[in-house]
Amino acid sequence: MSSIWIPVALSQDILSGMAIPAHLPGHDLVVWRSASGRIAAWHDRCPHRGMRLSHGFVRGDFLSCIYHGWRYGENGHCSKIPAHPDLVPPAAIKVPRFDVREKSSVVWVAPTGQAGEPVDYRGFTGFRSLSVNAPADLIARAVEGEERLAGCSVVLLVQALQGRGCNLHVLAAEGYDTAQLDGLSLAIEVLRRRLEQAVAT
Amino acid sequence: MILYDYVLSPSCYKVRLLASLLVAGIDLRPVDFHPGAEHHSPEFRALNPAGTIPVLKDAELVLTESGAILTYLAAVNAHEWLGHDDPEMQARVANWLAFSQRLTASAGAARLHDMLGFSGDIDALRVQATDALRELEAAIHARRRRGGIFLAADRPTIADIACFPYAALAPDGGVSLDSYPSIRLWMRAIRALPGFIEMPGIHRLHEQMPEPGPMPDVVRKESA
Repeated sequence: MSSIWIPVALSQDILSGMAIPAHLPGHDLVVWRSASGRIAAWHDRCPHRGMRLSHGFVRGDFLSCIYHGWRYGENGHCSKIPAHPDLVPPAAIKVPRFDVREKSSVVWVAPTGQAGEPVDYRGFTGFRSLSVNAPADLIARAVEGEERLAGCSVVLLVQALQGRGCNLHVLAAEGYDTAQLDGLSLAIEVLRRRLEQAVAT
Repeated sequence: MILYDYVLSPSCYKVRLLASLLVAGIDLRPVDFHPGAEHHSPEFRALNPAGTIPVLKDAELVLTESGAILTYLAAVNAHEWLGHDDPEMQARVANWLAFSQRLTASAGAARLHDMLGFSGDIDALRVQATDALRELEAAIHARRRRGGIFLAADRPTIADIACFPYAALAPDGGVSLDSYPSIRLWMRAIRALPGFIEMPGIHRLHEQMPEPGPMPDVVRKESA
């Protein structure tokens, strides 16, 4: 089963007022959460001078570029250019956006205008995201059907990254205590080491 | 207290940062590390035979290791930053101070290779840096599972300051931090501390600063 929705982060890792870098095949993204909690995924590039917007900062419901402070609203349109405070920025200055959803405490991104919704893993919640230095397709095959780790029910989502690596987003069934989650965290590290060694040899 | 300092040195920045957080006055004595290599001069070697920075001098006391300097600054100015509440916390702080040297020797060496042309096996350094960052990420996630974010206690200690700069500047050495969400949140917590100061490559949280007002008249006239 393939979906156009790609998991790029866990909801818990993007607090209100934070902008982070993320990746789709062929695109660098900034994923950011407004002060009111709304999530957005855009091209990671300020239309002004090309600076990565993921280095920028959030004030209220706006994302500003770290370079010259150009400010963008949630529709991606530039609403303020600090060096020209009296200017109303032309509507043509806008950042391309992607569709974004939060389900099962995962942040999913897809090209705009696509039909369908991401899978809802009911009863599961985001646990850890970690990078694996091995090709995504190999890792996806290796962890397919892996539903239990260290005695915990898990969902393992593989996100391809540009180049060789991938991200592994681990969801765990709700309700485990700290000791069980400590065990799960260790098991994930062991799994990663095993996968990377298998690819290296 | 005199800090022999170089603005682009993450190890010197550790000391400046802690001094600022503790509102402890230190006098800075700039060392022309690059390109002047002043740290190799006979005068500097007389102060620190190892020829490394930072060096902290307080009357007759001369400290040449950043972990020791952080310890001294905290002991003199703000004991709670030592993390000495109990033996376990104290040992955890000591462990992170030692761990920070691994970050220096890997991510720091990769940065010197890429930025200042120092020699080194860059691929091996990046692998070692990745190993250290993965360990840091796992440890911070464990703290998050317990409702915390700082390395050794429920509050920041010198352990956090010792590890912060070289982790934050890892991208300068070609080691991406994109896939380290817990390190990102931890760095954000440190950058949010009252008294936080910047160094080139590590910026403050602009969102916490007041919105800049209208431009001064003189600038507006010039641009008109």
